Amino acid sequence: MVLALERVTRLYDERRALDEVSFTVRPGRMTGFVGANGAGKTTAMRIVMGVLAPTSGEVLLDGMPLTRELRRTFGYMPEERGLYPRMRVLDQLVHLGRVHGMSRAAATRRATALLDQLGLDDRSHDLLQTLSLGNQQRVQVAAALLHEPVLLVLDEPFSGLDPLAIDAMGELLRSRAAAGVPVLFSSHQLELVEQLCDDVVIIDDGRVVTAGPADEVRSRRGGRRYRVRVQGPRPAAELVPGVAGATVVEATDDTVVVELADPADDQALLAAAQAHGVLREFAVVRPTLAEIFREVVR
Amino acid sequence: MNGAMSAWGAIRVIAGREVSVKLRDRAFIGSTVFMLVLVTAATLIPVLIQQRVPSIRVAVQGAAAADVVDLATQLGHDAQDSGTALPPALAVFGEGGLPAADLTSVEVEPGRDVQQLVRDGDVAAAVVGEVPTGLTVIAAQSVPSELDVLLRAASSELQIQQAAADAGLSADQVTALTSPVMPSTQLLEARPTGAVPPELLVLVFAFLFYLSVLTFGMSIAQSVVEEKQSRVIELLVAALPVRWLLAGKVLGNTVMALGQIVVILGAGLAGATVAGQGEVVRQVLGASGWFVAFFLLGFVMLACLWAVAGSLASRIEDLQATTVVMQVLVIVPFFAALFTMDSGPVQRVLSYVPFTAPLLMPARVVLGNAAPWEPVVSALVVLATGVAFVLIGARLYEGSLLHTSSRLKALQAWRASR
Repeated sequence: MVLALERVTRLYDERRALDEVSFTVRPGRMTGFVGANGAGKTTAMRIVMGVLAPTSGEVLLDGMPLTRELRRTFGYMPEERGLYPRMRVLDQLVHLGRVHGMSRAAATRRATALLDQLGLDDRSHDLLQTLSLGNQQRVQVAAALLHEPVLLVLDEPFSGLDPLAIDAMGELLRSRAAAGVPVLFSSHQLELVEQLCDDVVIIDDGRVVTAGPADEVRSRRGGRRYRVRVQGPRPAAELVPGVAGATVVEATDDTVVVELADPADDQALLAAAQAHGVLREFAVVRPTLAEIFREVVR
Repeated sequence: MNGAMSAWGAIRVIAGREVSVKLRDRAFIGSTVFMLVLVTAATLIPVLIQQRVPSIRVAVQGAAAADVVDLATQLGHDAQDSGTALPPALAVFGEGGLPAADLTSVEVEPGRDVQQLVRDGDVAAAVVGEVPTGLTVIAAQSVPSELDVLLRAASSELQIQQAAADAGLSADQVTALTSPVMPSTQLLEARPTGAVPPELLVLVFAFLFYLSVLTFGMSIAQSVVEEKQSRVIELLVAALPVRWLLAGKVLGNTVMALGQIVVILGAGLAGATVAGQGEVVRQVLGASGWFVAFFLLGFVMLACLWAVAGSLASRIEDLQATTVVMQVLVIVPFFAALFTMDSGPVQRVLSYVPFTAPLLMPARVVLGNAAPWEPVVSALVVLATGVAFVLIGARLYEGSLLHTSSRLKALQAWRASR
């Protein structure tokens, strides 16, 4: 089951919140959706869930346009958390389960099990508003997972969670992905995305800047960078001018990070390094997502 | 696994939540219980008070005084018997217009001070006199009204009998004088009347409708804003079409409003039955058919607009502003209906205007000045308006539901429809 956005555009009055956004979310993989505030993450997720309509473009599931019937089988966690504050936790989950087409009995069973799993079984008869924010967030997660969704769309699922809860949430999402469910989630916490995601989509000002498997994105965005550590009589940076198409990105006494232009030969760099002194390290440098993100968004 | 879901099933789930939330709402339960107590008290208390025939002790001094009081006692007693066929509330006035009362006469020796007896409170009043034309009624501050009427009736009957006997009339002639046969009445265009004036019935129904639309309308608007403010709406909209949400809300609240009215009316009618006012019960039940029909149509018509008024607000605090129009739409027709209780062209026209029709058309039926086809046509007008409002309401609702940052104008919502 593959979710695909195809040239999705959304206008708010004259402003382009999304500009021909295309990317896919694949089964069994966690897709991290990264972008600055106001870049269009929430708008895109709302369009996936049918809460907003695109101005143009479409969202497909296995090549078929999404219907509300299909979307009802998705699990959704909106950015601005939404539950009834003055309703009891269990009643609330059962109601949302029934809204998603479950029977009362099935919804009750599943909600009870989820609350148990999330450590909230003793709070199931309390009003939601009496729970701490972290616990409310857990109920929100339960609401998204209640109806055994075939696809998960989670807008900032980690915001407001303490480190332990973040671990638990990460594990939970991983287990869903491992079960073959495509998971799309947005986050500001880039280290977390890096650590959890198989695929990544970076969006800036309504446009997809880069998308694909996280490894690929990192090597692609990194260009051809090499870190060279050489122990020799002169600073390591001095070996660079001798290599065609090489420029220094940063340098310390015995280490230099070199960027090679496209036609340049990395073997020439290696040879120059060996000639320069005792070669201790010669490595391809892959930027972190955070580095890519900063570079892209700048 | 759960992709297929009927509209009706979803609407029922939404409506079910509205109902269960209401049933747990302390304010709702409190106000319902309060109204129940009020209605029950209103039906039972007057009966308890009025059903008691007053017992009055009268001091009597002199022969003529004794005769008059004896006859008055007889008349007061007869009024009680003939009054049993009438509803107790009206039994006080008896059939011939004479009040029912239990008079007890206390003979006082000539020469004793009757005034002292009255002052001491031993008797409510004293009647003194030796001749029918020279009677005096002595009381402390006022003569009990029942006693006053009975004494006047008895005194005049005795005097007529005396005069007739003096004139040498026969017994039949005397009877003809004292108990003349009244003309019988034939109404060509009789209006249904009952134990309760139909105008009062109309007023009660109008008030119930008004109260119900106002309180439940406000609660629909609140429930919409609650979902907007807490953003639950995003989860709901992702799963269900907005129209189903609107339908569920309207259905749930209509059920509760109708239920509340039925329970309150039921309590009133049960109270009236217990109190032996069977005729009132029959009259109300007979009149309630069109009222309930118009109540339903009118409520649903307005409920959609209330939901829209709610969806135009982003926070509970904005509700006051966005529901002003709705409050006017409920209050103005209510007063218009009150002031056009008399039949006439204005009433006729207003009974077809969708906002006043739910109040005025059933009123015209109860007051008996509507042709049989008229309520049907008027109901269709309200129904058509209701359908139009549902469509307009659904679009506005859709356009405004996800707009969560500020108050919306209706026009903006219309344009913003996704």
